[in-house]
Amino acid sequence: MIQFFHVYKAYPGDPPVLQDINLNVEKGEFVFLTGPSGAGKTTLLKLIFCGEKATKGQILVGGRNIARIRESAVPYLRRNIGVVFQDFKLLPHRSVADNVGFTLDVLGVPRAEGREKVRRMLKLVGLEHKADALPLRLSGGEQQRVVIARALVNDPTILLADEPTGNLDPALTVEIMDLLTQVNIRGTTVVVATHDATLLARYQKRTVRLERGQIVSDEDGVKAARRMAV
Amino acid sequence: MSALAKTAYFWRSAAGGLRHSPFVHFIAVSTIAIALFAAGLARGASRVVDNLLSSLGGEVEVTVYLAPELGEDEVHGVHERVQQLHVGDVTVVPPEAALVRLRRELGDLGEALAELPENPLPATLEVRVPAERRSPEALRTLAKELRAQPGVTAVDYGEAAVERLSAIARALRFGALVAFLVVLGTTIIIVAATLQLAIYSRREEIEIQKLVGATDRFVKAPFLLEGLLQGLLGAGLALLGLWTFGRVLGPTLGSLFAFLLGPGVSTAWVEPRTALELVAAGCGLGLGGSFVAVGRFLRV
Repeated sequence: MIQFFHVYKAYPGDPPVLQDINLNVEKGEFVFLTGPSGAGKTTLLKLIFCGEKATKGQILVGGRNIARIRESAVPYLRRNIGVVFQDFKLLPHRSVADNVGFTLDVLGVPRAEGREKVRRMLKLVGLEHKADALPLRLSGGEQQRVVIARALVNDPTILLADEPTGNLDPALTVEIMDLLTQVNIRGTTVVVATHDATLLARYQKRTVRLERGQIVSDEDGVKAARRMAV
Repeated sequence: MSALAKTAYFWRSAAGGLRHSPFVHFIAVSTIAIALFAAGLARGASRVVDNLLSSLGGEVEVTVYLAPELGEDEVHGVHERVQQLHVGDVTVVPPEAALVRLRRELGDLGEALAELPENPLPATLEVRVPAERRSPEALRTLAKELRAQPGVTAVDYGEAAVERLSAIARALRFGALVAFLVVLGTTIIIVAATLQLAIYSRREEIEIQKLVGATDRFVKAPFLLEGLLQGLLGAGLALLGLWTFGRVLGPTLGSLFAFLLGPGVSTAWVEPRTALELVAAGCGLGLGGSFVAVGRFLRV
């Protein structure tokens, strides 16, 4: 589903952010991307949804080489990728339902159909009763669930989450991670960037570790959890 | 269905944009309204000037001097040939009538004409030229055609006066065009600047739109519609202003300038054609401004 071949990313005048990244994420897989701050986790996610362009190397997403993708084709690629940001990126003056339905507006889904999809998605994330509330009136965990609902409302094949629990307390963290696991079970490929070791130990999923822009380990969940415990 | 839903979204978003930053849009709408109001007034004033020029032009008469040796039948022959050219009303002025007219015009000095042994004036043809052939070029061509007729010795149409009048009209039109272009440019810049502020205030929304897969066209369309709505609102306000102006000051101005307007000339400030032109201009200004704004600021 996602393949990186010798991918580099550098900004002029700075040391490379990513170096010689080779990675293969299968369809329906759940992958943790971990490493210290500044290791290149966010940049790697950005390369997948064309938020950044690779300096060198090839990236295939759904069989399509996005290193050579035309600018005008990027929006259509993004429609298949849901993104969950650490800073939420919610529109503060729009209701929860409007924020979730925003993606459907972009796709031109008729309003009635869109409302029904939004209702179903809010039900999935347990926020059906907060449909008319403004995001700022919600807790951090609830806001993050709205973001997940927005990312999933058009049934993307890939879900990317950048530190989705970074601002949350342990109880809410579990809530959000359970939700992401549930999404993965439904068939969506999920890539989660996190530096939270307790998450890796608890969920025991494939873990790719980045350090100074390079992949230093790529282990299955059990092995990674065992190493964490040591 | 998708296109319909997107169109509905664009309109909702554009209307929402107007509500979102009312003051910014108020400035843009007011600017368009003032520019169009001024254009409407200028249009009314230009009608007055055109009417003045037309009434002065109405005095343009071409005099065709015939050879003195022509007899009455030959003069009649030339008259018929000139009439066949379809140059307007052609009247024969025999030498005797010309002499009487000259005597009358000279007043006391006219008595001296009685001392002449014979009438020195030739027969002439007076041509009242229709309005569409009163331009200097048309008159020059007409004079050339008339001079080519057998029996014609000279043609006079007050060339200098016509050229001067035409130069004044040209200068007025050029001035109006320059003023129009300055107002057009200024208005587009102001509309673009206000829309840039509107775009800036919605940058978060645009960023999210892009992240969830909106195309550039999708992002830009509501802002273009916002510009169009600004233009329509501005044109509506300008028309309301002109209508009010016509109701309040129209009769006074009409009576003040009655001598220029002449009989049967409309003094209405909002005619259907003017209204359509102003609405079209408003849409053009709004869209022009929004094109500049999205082109400069929405490089998404």
